[in-house]
Amino acid sequence: MTPQALVPYMIFVPLAAAFLIPPFGKKFKRAGDAIPCAASVCVTTLGLYLASSVALSKVLVHKPYGWQAPFGTAFVVDGLSGIFLVAMNIVALVVAVYSIGYLNTYTDRWKFSSLFMLMLAGINGVLISGDIFTLYVFLEIAAISGYFLVAFGIAPDGLEAAFKYAVMGALASVFVLLGIALIYAHTSTLSIAGIASVISVGQQTDVLKFATVLLLVAFSIKAALVPFHAWLPYAYSSAPAPISAMLAGVSTKVLGIYTIMRIFFVMFEMTPQVSMVLIALGVASMVVASILAFVQVDIKRLFAYSSISQIGYVALGLGVGTPLAVFGALFHLLNHSAFKPLLFLASGAITRLTGTRNLGKIRGVMKDSPVTGTATLVGSLSICGIPPLGGFWSKLIIILACIQAGRPVLALVAVVVSVLTLAYYFRSITQVIFGKSVIRGQREGAVTVSMAIAMVTLVIISASMAILLLPNTGNAVLKEAVSVILNGKSYSAMVAGVLK
Amino acid sequence: MVGYNSLELLVGLPLLAGLFCLILSDRFKDLARIVSLLVSLAVFAGSVYLFINKPGPWQLGSNIMLASDNLSSFIALGISFFALTVSVYSLTYSTRSLGRYFGYILITLGAALGAAFSVNFIALLVFWGIVAAMLYLLVNIAGTEASAVAAKKAIIIVGGTDALLIFGVGLIWHITGSFNMGASRIGLSGLTAFSSYLVIAAAGLAKAGAMPFHSWVPEVAEHAPISVTAYLPASVDKLLGIYLLMRASLTIFKMSDIANLVLLIVGAITIVFAVLFALVQHDMKKLLGYHAVSQVGYMVLGIGTANPIGMAGALFHMLNNSIYKSCLFLSAGNVEHRSGETDLSKLGGLAKYMPITFAAFFVASLSISGIPPFNGFVSKWMLYQGVIASVGLGGKLKVLWLVAAMFGSALTVASFMKLIHAVFLGRPDGDFAHIKEAPFNMTMPVVVLASICIIFGIGAFVLPLPLLIAPAIGLGISYSGAWQPMPATLLILAGLVIGVGGYLLLKTAKFRQTDTFVGGWDPDKLGRVDGTEFYNTVTDIKMVGKAVKLEAGGGFDIYSISSSIIKAMSRPLRFLHNGILPTYMVWCLLGAIGIMFFIFLR
Repeated sequence: MTPQALVPYMIFVPLAAAFLIPPFGKKFKRAGDAIPCAASVCVTTLGLYLASSVALSKVLVHKPYGWQAPFGTAFVVDGLSGIFLVAMNIVALVVAVYSIGYLNTYTDRWKFSSLFMLMLAGINGVLISGDIFTLYVFLEIAAISGYFLVAFGIAPDGLEAAFKYAVMGALASVFVLLGIALIYAHTSTLSIAGIASVISVGQQTDVLKFATVLLLVAFSIKAALVPFHAWLPYAYSSAPAPISAMLAGVSTKVLGIYTIMRIFFVMFEMTPQVSMVLIALGVASMVVASILAFVQVDIKRLFAYSSISQIGYVALGLGVGTPLAVFGALFHLLNHSAFKPLLFLASGAITRLTGTRNLGKIRGVMKDSPVTGTATLVGSLSICGIPPLGGFWSKLIIILACIQAGRPVLALVAVVVSVLTLAYYFRSITQVIFGKSVIRGQREGAVTVSMAIAMVTLVIISASMAILLLPNTGNAVLKEAVSVILNGKSYSAMVAGVLK
Repeated sequence: MVGYNSLELLVGLPLLAGLFCLILSDRFKDLARIVSLLVSLAVFAGSVYLFINKPGPWQLGSNIMLASDNLSSFIALGISFFALTVSVYSLTYSTRSLGRYFGYILITLGAALGAAFSVNFIALLVFWGIVAAMLYLLVNIAGTEASAVAAKKAIIIVGGTDALLIFGVGLIWHITGSFNMGASRIGLSGLTAFSSYLVIAAAGLAKAGAMPFHSWVPEVAEHAPISVTAYLPASVDKLLGIYLLMRASLTIFKMSDIANLVLLIVGAITIVFAVLFALVQHDMKKLLGYHAVSQVGYMVLGIGTANPIGMAGALFHMLNNSIYKSCLFLSAGNVEHRSGETDLSKLGGLAKYMPITFAAFFVASLSISGIPPFNGFVSKWMLYQGVIASVGLGGKLKVLWLVAAMFGSALTVASFMKLIHAVFLGRPDGDFAHIKEAPFNMTMPVVVLASICIIFGIGAFVLPLPLLIAPAIGLGISYSGAWQPMPATLLILAGLVIGVGGYLLLKTAKFRQTDTFVGGWDPDKLGRVDGTEFYNTVTDIKMVGKAVKLEAGGGFDIYSISSSIIKAMSRPLRFLHNGILPTYMVWCLLGAIGIMFFIFLR
């Protein structure tokens, strides 16, 4: 089969898994563990294969059922979605492995596995959709399964968080749908490539501007940029740890940031206004969230606020918009997709070890469980920008890019927030890792083998992210994605050419 | 080593060996010890070799990353010497995680050498940051709650200024368009250049522990394993911090009057305040920690004078300080190792049981106090000459700097009298009779360090100054004040001989010996003088008392000041996060309106 023909399997495999799990999962307990892992392995391999084919042929376009250009939908993989497909599916695979051990205290695990696969199908769907309506459908699939997964523990706080998440998510969905409707009314096509060829910056009508506003607000809610972030601390902190990891590492990245890249850089051309808005949202997120993170007492809420702040860096980089800044933003996003799930997985292990999420009570994790301690340590060191871990390089690149773009004030903000990040992390995490244990909530077998494997994998990945900077290897992959973002029009033209 | 670049090897070997030690399981404790000893020995030999035969630079692609000049190879010599000392000293150290301990020590060594040899700013940032991270991890080896608190303060202050350093590097890149250090010297006229100098200086000062970035040093000194304190805050961090400051002032920037004045003020304040705080401490290690801060003041002062003799004095003082300060810390470590006690009110009378440690500690105390003919005197003497010779804005106030320096010196003597009394001479609180001298591997380093104090003092103009300091500075040093250590030492010795001789001669008369008594009482039954209260009366001076109280409450601590500011800033934000969904929806609406205005009206 050609790589083009394999593209839709990124959706079919997890979708099939999601529907296979209910009939078997209830009877055979192992099926609920095995199917998601097997499906994840399949899509990760497939993602790697597709990304490597993209490196050769720039874009892969699959037209199902031979529909012609203006009507049919299309699945597209280019440099940008290729790198996302690989990164996100690796994270999902690690989370699936982690869940085997983590969920052994939950009932009805097969429901979890099924919803998890549904979410993955939605994520992959968003990544490979070639038209905005299909993108919307998969975005909803991912989001709605997310609402259920947040509430999976059915503790009161989880239900409350899921409700807040659902209400704000619904607001975003309505905005997306309305925006799409306006664009469709204006351009008579839904295909991203088609819209890109119809619209050009010169003829920005008010309708299009309004659609821009709607989509920008909607995706900012999904990406949880300040002031649209309020759902995130609740959802991240109350969800089961694997779901927090999935939301932090995959969901907000794809549903929020990837969509911003796809819509505002590739479909529309970047305007100075939109980039100003992105910078403003980015700076607000960085500053506000890091100040709030400083006073958190719940370990998962701390990680949640730091997530908002780190996404602010990505938005800032995208807003500055020079090749170096976009490169930094993309690299920071990938780093964040490695170390933030790591921290959330570690927080799950810590909660199982000590029975609490209160930062004032957790002490000396390194002694009780070296794997968890190391995971927390490496994740924190990376997010704080300690060299030679990945987080150092991406922050460095973003700061240098701001200076290069002639915006030293933005660079200073990025530096100050990076100092704040260091401060709130080490202030809270040091005693958690190295302090003297006071409560002996240590439960036998709290950290299972599968959890340890998952954490060690992410530790290795986070520690070696700098490989992506080496010339001619990872760097080429990143550069390809950056060029998709920066030369959106030419990529759209390429896709349109294949579709015709 | 023919055909193979030695700089790369010198930096890479300890890094790899350190990683190897990290993954060693706890069963192979002795292997970690041996690896650490051998590697640090090899690296020391290597840096001596490199100091003599200057190697070529190491390139990554087309960028020169590492290169050595006189200054950096001198710093590297110091770093590897202290790593060797600490490796020897730690041979009998035992902790649950020995592999990690030695791993971190070796990684620190490699990264510190890398930082010293970096001529590319990006390489410098990487190595510099690794050293900070290792400080954090090493302090945490102690594994107590207090050590964790000290470690986080250290990483937040040191790591925070590292982040600022990135900003400074970015600005330099903006000005010169190159990441090459010293590609061209930058004038400090514009705001950009000046702010980039300030943040780079801040990174150096924080690493070295000068005020206002000092607060992590005493705390780390109090709670970290003492070998770690002797290794990082007392020597390697000092070397690196002063190195960066020197590098920035000598080769990266063209210093201006204002910048020099800033350095002079920082130096003078650091000298005086830190030594005042040292006077009133009750803990041996914390007291030494405050001295580690105070001494940095002299070096900063010397760099601020901006003349060759002052600079050379600063560099020499940095070397001397690392020698006597690690000697002091390691001797204090011997005391703690044998007595299990660091509280001055409990210690006492150990000179009898630990004579070697006492001798070394005594020599190092005299050195730090600047008493001739020891090395501390020579470098302070050079610093004074530098201050007197200083010109420009700072030169107008030279009396002020001189008074601060001399006052600090006097108070240093005073606080060491207290320390020696309380630890080695006075009467102990409790029975210390069972105490033996520390094991050989712990006495050997302190004896070596103390001997160097003497040798560098007496032979200052023969050994260290012409061989190490003068080439590193690269400027002609002219000594305005004459100091000839040899005759002076002979005179001092002669004085001592005459004194002792006179005592022995006069002792020929017969004395009656009787038990000591005070006012008819057996002194054992009277309260003992433990020495901790020697100088509490200084706090009766209003200003001093206030300053000491403020320091104890964190008033000079940049860490607690900024954390209370951030907490205050978080209050309105927390008020907005009230957990009610409609509030959050209102924000979204306001945000949407804001974006709409932006898109439509701009």
